[in-house]
Amino acid sequence: MENIALAEPGAHLSIWALFIQASWVVKLVMIGLLCASIWTWAIIVDKLVAYARMRLALNRFEQVFWSGQSLEELYRTLADRKTTGMGAIFVAAMREWKKSFEKGAKSPLGLQTRIDKAMDLALTREMERLEGRLGFLATTGSAAPFIGLFGTVIGIMTSFQAIAASKNTSLSVVAPGIAEALLATAIGLLAAIPAVIAYNKLSSDANKIGVRMEGFADEFSAILSRQIDEKVAQKA
Amino acid sequence: MRTGLTTSVILHAAVISFGLFTLSSPAALPASDVEALPIAIVPMEAMTQIQQGDKKAVLHEKPAPVPTQRPDIVPDAQKIGENSVDTDKPVTPEAKPKPVDLAAAPPPAPTPIEKPKTEDVPKPKEEPKPIPATEVAPTPQPKEEVKPEPVKQANPKPTPAKEPTPAPPQDKTAAIQPQPEIKPDAVAEAIEKEQPTDAAQLPDSAPTPEARPKPQPAQAESAKAPERKDADKPVKEASSRPKSEDKQFNADEISALLDKQKPSGGGAKRSTQQASLGGDKTTGSKLSQSETDSLRGQVQRCWNIPAGAADAGNLKVSVKFKLDQSGALVGPVDIISGGGSDGVQRAAAESARRAVARCSPYTLPADKYDAWADVIVNFDPSEMF
Repeated sequence: MENIALAEPGAHLSIWALFIQASWVVKLVMIGLLCASIWTWAIIVDKLVAYARMRLALNRFEQVFWSGQSLEELYRTLADRKTTGMGAIFVAAMREWKKSFEKGAKSPLGLQTRIDKAMDLALTREMERLEGRLGFLATTGSAAPFIGLFGTVIGIMTSFQAIAASKNTSLSVVAPGIAEALLATAIGLLAAIPAVIAYNKLSSDANKIGVRMEGFADEFSAILSRQIDEKVAQKA
Repeated sequence: MRTGLTTSVILHAAVISFGLFTLSSPAALPASDVEALPIAIVPMEAMTQIQQGDKKAVLHEKPAPVPTQRPDIVPDAQKIGENSVDTDKPVTPEAKPKPVDLAAAPPPAPTPIEKPKTEDVPKPKEEPKPIPATEVAPTPQPKEEVKPEPVKQANPKPTPAKEPTPAPPQDKTAAIQPQPEIKPDAVAEAIEKEQPTDAAQLPDSAPTPEARPKPQPAQAESAKAPERKDADKPVKEASSRPKSEDKQFNADEISALLDKQKPSGGGAKRSTQQASLGGDKTTGSKLSQSETDSLRGQVQRCWNIPAGAADAGNLKVSVKFKLDQSGALVGPVDIISGGGSDGVQRAAAESARRAVARCSPYTLPADKYDAWADVIVNFDPSEMF
């Protein structure tokens, strides 16, 4: 019985010890999963902050936009600034408007389509920026458990091989290897769960923001269209 | 993005360091301190198949020699050992009176030694001599006389050469005239011839006469039987008359014929080999393939397959019977399977039953009696052709 004696189980079963004991494949998997988790959380934090800012910016812009201030003035204040969200859409539309009227546009119909195109482009660019790294969250959420499982399977395989070589089936010999292998799955789940939750929340948030911006773009398009019609009527 | 990354890294570092401290050493499960039970794995054969032997002996490579059972009481056994026949009783010194019984004892004694020589000498000497030996004792009516004489003879033991001569005179006194006359001469001649050789040996050792007389009782008793077998011709002539005299009851004769040697204790058949580890009797042994075949052969030899059974297809019959230690059939022969109501089937079953009964004493290894005490034999006519 002496050779099976369990020497301080605690010392061998701490998480750090488990990590150190693992084979290099499992270590690689664990490190990769850890990095993925760090990146996931970085994205989550970043997006949360970005969306909060975006919402704030949208609110402020809408407030300013509907305050009755003249569009020319607003454009002048915003043109030389770096704008995001609705501001960017507004600036893009106004720029197209200005260009057409300063050179004396012939067809008001063509102007309308050009403005719509410019606003669509700006909206798409904004949405792209908003949803930029959510794809990584989705990937992590779906793939991390599998990667962790892979690490576990490899770990259990190697530990069983070691057990077979040691010709001892005592539980205290079998357990550490399995615990160590399961650590990989644990890390995988640790990375995947927040990623999935965050992805769902952030993508719905981005959707809401996108809908809001689209609504603004439509409204602004309508306003500009009315303006074009008025200008055409004045000329005629 | 930088803020997100830094916060994430900080967050992870915090969680991991927290985890390392809190999850580092899970408390060991409380395991009750149970003493380990020693478990020996014993093959079933150790329980079911036990060799006969000695419980306290060491296990030997060789299976046990037959362990000692109560020794058979062999009436005359004197020797100890594995022989089934024991011969050559050792000298029992109390046999002194024996020379007394046989006045003519000495003559027969030399005879066995003479045998080669007697061939040189005239023919019928061997047979006549025993005759006087046996018949001399009965004939003398004055029994007292006979006894004293041996006493005298016993004294002059050193010279047994002279003894034969006194003996023949008694014969002469007896009714039988012609033969004794021939005998003494022949005997005397034979003895005289021998004595030069024997005399040298005999006088040396006083006890020698005692040694010789022993074969004599045996010869004396058996004399009559062998004589007639060996050489009927002279005996018929000589013994025809004495026989009538034999019929007379003579207590002396009986006493002469009695073996007065003390029986020695029995003790035959004790093995000198060491017993091997084993039980009181052999159990669970199986008949080997060759032994099974032997039994099958013995049964088949007596089996007359009923006519028509050969082509009747499936006429298998299983019979069960019991055998005793000697291999003889005990009790009825039961038909276990086969043997339906159909005529052919019944015939097959009956033939099997008859076969078992007819071959009854089977020769099977006696030490495996447990294995063949109950036997089931399958008779399959289709395998016979």
